[in-house]
Order: sequence, then structure tokens, then C-alpha cells
Amino acid sequence: MELVTPGIGLIFWMTLSFGLVLFILRKFAWRPILSTIKEREAYIAGSIRDSKRIQRELAELDTTKEKLLVQAREKADELLQQAKREGEIVINKAQQQAREEASKIIEAAKNSIHAERKAAEREIRKQIVNLTVDMTRRVLQDEFSDVGKNNQYVEKLLEDIQLN
Amino acid sequence: MEVNGKPGNKLFRVCIYRVFSALLVTFLILFTTNVFAEASAAEQKKKGEFDAGKVIIDHILDAYDWHIADYGDTHITIPLPVILLYEGKWHFFFSHKFHHGKDAYKGFRIAADGPKKGRIIRVMDDGITPDPNASFILDLSITKNVFSIFISVSLLCWLLITVARSYTHCGPRRAPRGLSAFLEPLILFVRDDIAGSAIPKDKVDKFLPYLLSLFFFIFFNNLLGLVPFFPGGANVTGSISVTLTLSLFTFMTLHLFANKEYWKHIFNTPGVPVWLKFPIPLMPIIELVGIFVKPVVLTLRLFANITAGHMIILGFVSLIFVLGASGTALGFAISPLSVIFIIFMNFLELLVAFIQAYVFTFFSAIFFGMAVPDEHH
Repeated sequence: MELVTPGIGLIFWMTLSFGLVLFILRKFAWRPILSTIKEREAYIAGSIRDSKRIQRELAELDTTKEKLLVQAREKADELLQQAKREGEIVINKAQQQAREEASKIIEAAKNSIHAERKAAEREIRKQIVNLTVDMTRRVLQDEFSDVGKNNQYVEKLLEDIQLN
Repeated sequence: MEVNGKPGNKLFRVCIYRVFSALLVTFLILFTTNVFAEASAAEQKKKGEFDAGKVIIDHILDAYDWHIADYGDTHITIPLPVILLYEGKWHFFFSHKFHHGKDAYKGFRIAADGPKKGRIIRVMDDGITPDPNASFILDLSITKNVFSIFISVSLLCWLLITVARSYTHCGPRRAPRGLSAFLEPLILFVRDDIAGSAIPKDKVDKFLPYLLSLFFFIFFNNLLGLVPFFPGGANVTGSISVTLTLSLFTFMTLHLFANKEYWKHIFNTPGVPVWLKFPIPLMPIIELVGIFVKPVVLTLRLFANITAGHMIILGFVSLIFVLGASGTALGFAISPLSVIFIIFMNFLELLVAFIQAYVFTFFSAIFFGMAVPDEHH
């Protein structure tokens, strides 16, 4: 019977002790332990979230990098092509200019040669005429002793020749 | 620090393992030998007659002194304070004045038989006859169980506050180590599997400190009850007063936090035909009885489980002496078998220590969950 009969003394001390345990543990044990565990869980969850985000960002960065590389390569190719084209243009222009210059020089030379030739021809003709006149005068010295008349005649002859 | 700390730490751990295994072995050896010693003393007293029932009951019941061992005819006991309030007067003295129940002191003695057997009663001047006119004695003695509760409670507080300090010291950014690493799975078990599964999420925090304290108190005392020598050995959680107090705490906590839905559920159970509530309030009566059945069930389950476990172990020990009384050779022959069973039972009781702590806490949590249902259903 004693086994199943509660004793007042034991109940009293048990209530006191357990009440004290509840109070002490609640204040000095469970509060710090539970809050630390909660904080740790939040920290771990946050870290996992962060690492996932970073991974995602890294993947994004990777694709961006690839894209940038491709773009850069394209741009470089384009630049190279453009440079080539521009170079060709410049060369062409230079060649054109040179050709033009050369043709101009040739033209000028031609002109000057032409003019020289004309002058030379004229000179030669004059000489020929003079020689002829001289010859003629020497031949016809007597007949044409009058110098004035001669000159008139020479002029007339010149005119004729020119008209020819 | 870190580099030097590692090998030292490992050494420390190895030491701890050694100490633990040594303790386990000593525990098993001492358990058997200690009970042998006590049982043999009882055997001597009866001169060959071995009363197994008396030995078992004596080990399970509370006592006014803490019996440690017998050496020959000398009882080695720790006298505990007796505190009595009788007819408005306080009496303080130590229990050795009773000489293990043989003598009366100041007109009080421990009843040897009768309905108050084992309790302190008032006796006549001859020191033997119970006083028929005695009024009520308020007995607030520090008995074996009370003393054991004091010890276990101090140990528990010290242990958990040490752990709590390491938590505050290390902060949330560090994995638990040492004692905290040992206790954290238990704490998380109570939080997630006991409280978390039985109580609505937003109300768990209200009950969690209570449930944790309850779990660790029961678990700790169950384990101490299995240790056969001094700081343990008292049958705290196998004492009906203790389990009754624990379930009364649950009962009080439950009704302190119970919300309107809970009371509505009791007095006007939803989803039940009206003829069950009116004119004869059948359901309310059943529900009201249920309120009081809950703590009673909690009380009896823990008490019966722990007491039964202790009884079985003591029964196997007694078996040796019961058979030994009819023939020494028979006693020796049966002892290896008994010891094997005792070891087996001790391991089983380790399991029961945990399971019963779990069950008590889990049912408390379920009752709390019923006390604070969501308002909207």
C-alpha cells in the first residue's frame, strides 16, 4: 500500500525542487541554448542561401564573360577588317594620286616638249628662211641690192610661208 | 593554440572513453555485489530465511536514511534530517535517532506495520504502541528520495548551465563540441520531434522550456536510479509522489495556457450530435473526466514502468539467494545466469529510461497541443 500512497513531504520538496529547476533552467540554460541554436540555424540557412546566390552569380558571370570574349573577338575581327579596308583605300588613294601626279608631270613635260618643239621648229624655220633668204640674196645680190626692198620681200615671203 | 589543442583534445577524449568504459564495468560489478551485500545482510537477519519480496520492496520504497552498505552487523547509512510539524510544533532531528526504525524518538517512530507502515507515527510513552489520539503529522523530512532529488537537480542545473555557458561563449558560428555536442541532439529531439510535432508551430516556444526541463529531469533521474551506489540508487522516478507532482505540473501548465477553443471543445464539443450534450450532458462529463484522467495516466505510467524495471532487476538478484537458501551450490550455479539477465535488464532499463522520459514529455506536449488549438476550426 505504501508503494502507491503519495507522501506529502516528498510532494512538497519535489514541487519546490522542480519549480526551482523550471525557473533556473528556463532563465539560465534554455534561453541561451535555444536562442543560440536558433541563431546558428538562421546563420546556416543564410550561408546556404548566400552560397547558392554566389554560385548563380558566378554562373551568370561566366556566361557574361563568354559573351564578352565573343564580342571582343568579333570587335577585333571587325577592327582588323576595317583597318585592312582603310589601308587599301589609303593605298589606292595614294596610288591614284601618284598616278595623277605622274600623268600631270607627263602632261606638263609633254606640253613643254611640244612648246619647245614648236619654238625649235619656228627657230629652225626661221633659220631655214634666213638661210634661204641669205642664199637667195647671195644669188640675187645684184638684183636685189636694195636692202629695203629685200626686207619687204622677206617679210612677204615669211607671211606666205606662214600661211602655208 | 589550435595546433597544440588537437592532440591534447584527442588524448582527453581517449581518457574520457577509458573512464566511461571503466565506470560501466564498475557499475555492473558494483551493482551486483552491492545488492549481494545488502541481500546477504537481510539473509543473515532471518537466519537462512530469505524474504525476496521484503528486500525488493525495501529497495524500491523511500526511506528516512540512506542505506549504503552493510559490513558485518554494521549498517553504513547516511542519516537524513527529519522535519515534522506536530500540533503546531516543529521537530528537527536526524534519522539515526530512530536506529533504523528500532527505536522511538521524542514520541515518534517509524511504523513497522499497519496502514502507515514505513511512515512516521506518534507512539505512546512505551515507544511501541501507536497513539490512538494522535493528530495529523506534517512530515516534511528530507528522505532518501528528497535528498536524491536535491542531488540530481543540482547536477542537472550545473550540467545544463555549463552547457549554456559554452553556447553563449562560442556563439552561433561554431559547431557544438563536448557536452553540448552530446546534449544538442537531445535538445533538438525535444524541440523538433516532441514539441514540434504536437504543438502548433507558433506556440512551441511557450512550452519548450518546460518540456525540456521535464524531459531532462525524468531522463536524468531515471539514469541515476539505475546507478546502484550512493549518488544514485534512489527510486525517484519510480516514486508515485514524484510522478504525481510532475503530472500536476503538466496539468497546471496546460490549464494556465489553455485557450477558449480548449474549453469550448470540452463543454460544447464540435461535430457531436446534440442529444449527446442535451438534456444529459454526456460528452461534457466524459471530457471533464478526461481532464483528470490525463495526469493520472501520466503519473501511473512513469511510476509503474520504472518501478517494474527495478523490481525485475532486484528479482533476478534475489533469485540467487532464494535458491542459495535451499543449497549453496544451487545459488552459485544460478548466479551466472542471473548476472547475465541482470546485465541484459540494465541495458533494457537504459532504453526504458529514455523511452519513459520521451513518453512523459511527448504526452505532455500532446496535451499542450490540445490546449492551444488554432482558433479557426
